[in-house]
Amino acid sequence: MRYKEGPKMSITVKLHPILQNLAGGQEVVEVTGHTTGECLKDLESRFPVIKQLIRDKRGQLRRYCEILVNSKSTYPDELTTPVKDGDQIDIMIFVAGG
Amino acid sequence: MLTANDLARYERQILYPDLGEKGQEKLKQSHVVVAGLGGLGCAASLYLTCAGVGHVTLIDCDRVELSNLNRQILHYEEDIGEKKPFSAAQKLAELNPSIEVSPVFRKITAQNARKIIKGANLVIDGMDNFKTRFIVNKACVAEGIPFIHGGVHGLFGEVTTILPGRTPCLACIFPEFPRGQLALPVFGVTPALIAILQVTEAIKLLAGFGTLLTGKMLYFSGDTMDFTLCKLTKNQNCSVCGTKKARK
Repeated sequence: MRYKEGPKMSITVKLHPILQNLAGGQEVVEVTGHTTGECLKDLESRFPVIKQLIRDKRGQLRRYCEILVNSKSTYPDELTTPVKDGDQIDIMIFVAGG
Repeated sequence: MLTANDLARYERQILYPDLGEKGQEKLKQSHVVVAGLGGLGCAASLYLTCAGVGHVTLIDCDRVELSNLNRQILHYEEDIGEKKPFSAAQKLAELNPSIEVSPVFRKITAQNARKIIKGANLVIDGMDNFKTRFIVNKACVAEGIPFIHGGVHGLFGEVTTILPGRTPCLACIFPEFPRGQLALPVFGVTPALIAILQVTEAIKLLAGFGTLLTGKMLYFSGDTMDFTLCKLTKNQNCSVCGTKKARK
């Protein structure tokens, strides 16, 4: 997906509770980027252990993770959806236990 | 029609103005399928039975093991090796003989799911894997039956209520079937708490009062004792419930 380069913007990532422990207890982290993928990279650079949980060995998003922007699914463009200043990204993790 | 025994048994909840005798009668006329009899399903079916839901179907394809007993509260040590639906049904029948409990020892598949849930007023998610959840989600959408999803991991749990055609289904949130999963540590208290939230939703939905957890996922973290909500939006392209179904 193409997008126009410009000044980096401030986006919030709302972390799934499982990820909050890995981010020092923070529920919301402010990140920068023009796409969801860039924002996640910014997040992962600060909290590398999050990357281990949400990405596979090839760097792809694990299937039990889903990315929402302003509550809407980004499928199938989870890592390439454009974001703008003020957007909120949710990282969902589907838990299977019962 | 509520009997004198019903009025006595459910007296304290009938006192709740939004339920009353009318709501209790609706519970009595209801049929709920509990899909899976692990930590979630045991606690959920226990409270459905206590609340006076008239017919509860219990379905699972496993037998009781020792490692189940930290959380699956309807199975006792003497039940090890027993079929879970029958082990659970026995306890529930003793707890409340005035309701009908139907144990079904069967694996839920894409082929039989719609037949299993057909005619039910709602389905409670008591399952322990992605695959069966997605099969049941699809069957509920096809049959137009509300589905109350619950899932747990360690001290973490989640709940949402799905009203087919009106609110986001599981496939709206996770369009591709999740592969691989986190290893599954589970405390007994987490599925118990999540199951009770599911039954709270069930009672409100069946009796027709209150606000439901539709279009939002409620998360519980037992580690920090926080409840948080994540808003969800229906996906018009959802392969299960979308109106466009343009994608796989």
